[in-house]
Amino acid sequence: MSNIYKSRKYVLIFLAPAFLFMIIYLYYPFFVNIYGSFRAIKNLGTYGTKWNDPWYENYVKLVTDPVVRTSLKNTFLMIIATIVGQVGIALLLAILVDNIERGTQFFRTVYFFPIVISATALGLLFNLIFLYDRGMLNQFLELLGRDSLIDWKGESLAIFTMMLPVVWQYVGFYFVILQTGLNNISQELYESAAIDGATRLQRVIYISLPLLRNVICTCLTLGVTGALKVFDLPWTMFPKGMPLKETFLTGTYMYYQTMEAKNVDYGATLAVLIVVLGVVLSRVTGMVFKESEDF
Amino acid sequence: MYEELVQKGESMKMKKLTAVLMTALMTTSAIGCGSTAPTEAPAEQAAATNEAADTAATTEEAPAAQEEAPAQEETGPVEITVTTTFAGEDSNAQNYKNSVAGWEAATGNTVSDTSATSDETFKTRIITDFETGSEPDVLFFFNGADANDFVNAGKVVSIDDIRAEFPEYASNMNDDLIAASPADGVKYAVPVNGYWEAMFVNTKVLEDAGVAMPGADYTWDQFLDDCEKIKAAGYAPIAAALGNIPHYWWEFGIYNQQTPADHLNIPESADDATGAQWVAGLEDIKTLYEKGYFPDNTLSATDDETFAMFTDDKAAFLLDGSWKVGGIVGSCQSDPDDPSTIDADKLSHFDVTYFPGKGNRKTTDLIGGLSMGYYITTKAWEDPEKKAAAVSFVEYMTSDEVVPLFAQHTASALKNAPAVDETQFNALQVKAMDMMSGVTSLTGAVQDLFNGDCRVSTFDGMPDIVVGNVSAADAVQEGIDVYKDTLE
Repeated sequence: MSNIYKSRKYVLIFLAPAFLFMIIYLYYPFFVNIYGSFRAIKNLGTYGTKWNDPWYENYVKLVTDPVVRTSLKNTFLMIIATIVGQVGIALLLAILVDNIERGTQFFRTVYFFPIVISATALGLLFNLIFLYDRGMLNQFLELLGRDSLIDWKGESLAIFTMMLPVVWQYVGFYFVILQTGLNNISQELYESAAIDGATRLQRVIYISLPLLRNVICTCLTLGVTGALKVFDLPWTMFPKGMPLKETFLTGTYMYYQTMEAKNVDYGATLAVLIVVLGVVLSRVTGMVFKESEDF
Repeated sequence: MYEELVQKGESMKMKKLTAVLMTALMTTSAIGCGSTAPTEAPAEQAAATNEAADTAATTEEAPAAQEEAPAQEETGPVEITVTTTFAGEDSNAQNYKNSVAGWEAATGNTVSDTSATSDETFKTRIITDFETGSEPDVLFFFNGADANDFVNAGKVVSIDDIRAEFPEYASNMNDDLIAASPADGVKYAVPVNGYWEAMFVNTKVLEDAGVAMPGADYTWDQFLDDCEKIKAAGYAPIAAALGNIPHYWWEFGIYNQQTPADHLNIPESADDATGAQWVAGLEDIKTLYEKGYFPDNTLSATDDETFAMFTDDKAAFLLDGSWKVGGIVGSCQSDPDDPSTIDADKLSHFDVTYFPGKGNRKTTDLIGGLSMGYYITTKAWEDPEKKAAAVSFVEYMTSDEVVPLFAQHTASALKNAPAVDETQFNALQVKAMDMMSGVTSLTGAVQDLFNGDCRVSTFDGMPDIVVGNVSAADAVQEGIDVYKDTLE
């Protein structure tokens, strides 16, 4: 009886469908997208009728477009918010929950719940919370005696208002991962430390955090790369980068240029930027948050 | 080259259409409302307006369900895909559902409906659908430059070509009122209901601010004075989301620098005469913003939010289209889908009037016309199973019985407009009819010719213009450059 594992032929046969799928639906469109970024394209579904003049026009625009700078700045802010807000808060919550004896499952369910709700639905929900006139927050503030309304989606608060729901939604995701990591730490270590007189805080600092290092690194890598893909919730709450194009992320700006401004070739150029940014950031995070084999 | 195309071609066609439409509209308005028609309105051009008659208030009933659908070849039940803008808060969304149900019941065919609210995303979706071969069988869409791409690509069938095989197709329409495509001058879209754009008024806010209801001689200076009084009384004078839907203010801001005769001209540069008018129009909006006449959150609010301010008695004026009548009436009903739940007292707080006049534009010169219609796509036309069904569907939806349901207080292109029973209209519809009876001209929207990405710098860029980040002249020039590029 022959062993199929000894023949490369069978391996290739099984790998081929997935490989073809990737070629057709990822790499081919990617290269077409690069080609499109040099063409003058008004409508989706076409290659346009002519080359841009000069052919690299969109890449010059990419460098000079102030909205690109705004969207890059906001994307990096989103990455920081992800690291501090999502992973940081999730870590804090996971450690707190790990130190209680009952209700762990309850908190796990409660914190994870926002993940299962559509981001678009959450966007609409938070739109009502942050509504200027008769919004939930402004009504609360009115009850507390404030006599003027706060424009939560105005220029000064828009970034905060946009990032808060995104952070809130994904805290539960990282909470569950970190909680699972904490559960894998042997209780004997904690018991030994307790016998030696270590406080709860010392046990967290000297046992939990070092042994969670690889899990935290994984969360941070997921968070940073995930921040590049955030789209639906910000777009629902702040369509067209409202106000004054101050809330664009790279993803929402690409969508805006393609679907709203009908500048498809420039949208393709922005897509190239996003891919480059994604590759660079994933390499950087891979190096910075490198997992250790010591744990 | 492009100026020649626009000014001599499209503009003349639009003006001719507008003149005929206006004549027809005013004539039938006069008939319907029992008011005196303007003297220059010839009586023989009788198109239908205000002719919802005995069916307007009964939108929950399937219109003409008991009537026979137009003849269709025996091909068995067919499913056709239809995309319209009768969705969401469109005042005809329910009428559309009822009419589709009526056609399905009469023919046994079915409709796979993909209607959506009309906005720029919807337009992009339609154009993309055509580009990728995913277009519907029947499409209710704009008949202006927005349709140029699929018209030029030969992806819709002209009315004449359809009539060659189905002679009765759209035969109940006055052909003079069917707009030709600006792409090739051929008629493709069978219109249903027209539109007008005017200024809705919350009279309760006006009373509280001590401001009189504006009339047919309302001037821009009076408007500014009234806005100041309204603002001093603690209300927002104008309900508008400049960061979301600046379209109406854009149109009238520019129109106020012009006359009906030259409104459809497109500038060659921001420095020429028309360009200067456009810049001045946008500067007027900037002035209003700087004076604080728009809501505090006008740059970050959505249109829905500012509309709610208007219906909640927090803002005085709302510049919008005839389709907003349904939205205002709906806001006065405890059940938006049930006209019997209307709060008549609340509805009495709303009125509609002309946009304040400035310069050579009369206050009573409005924007309006028949800007949309039903297209049959080439894909459906070349499908033997769907061809007759698509024709039957459009014939049904544009029949003498169904069109009045949709047209209500606006215009239609029907040859024989049914008599109007004004008692079937709600108070705001009656006020709209009164207002329309005093209109001196109805001109198409220049933004329908200056379409798509040309408008981005002044539509999406409106917040930057009003706060001074970008000058109006630069924004206009940027749009013109894109426009020229699209003509090459």
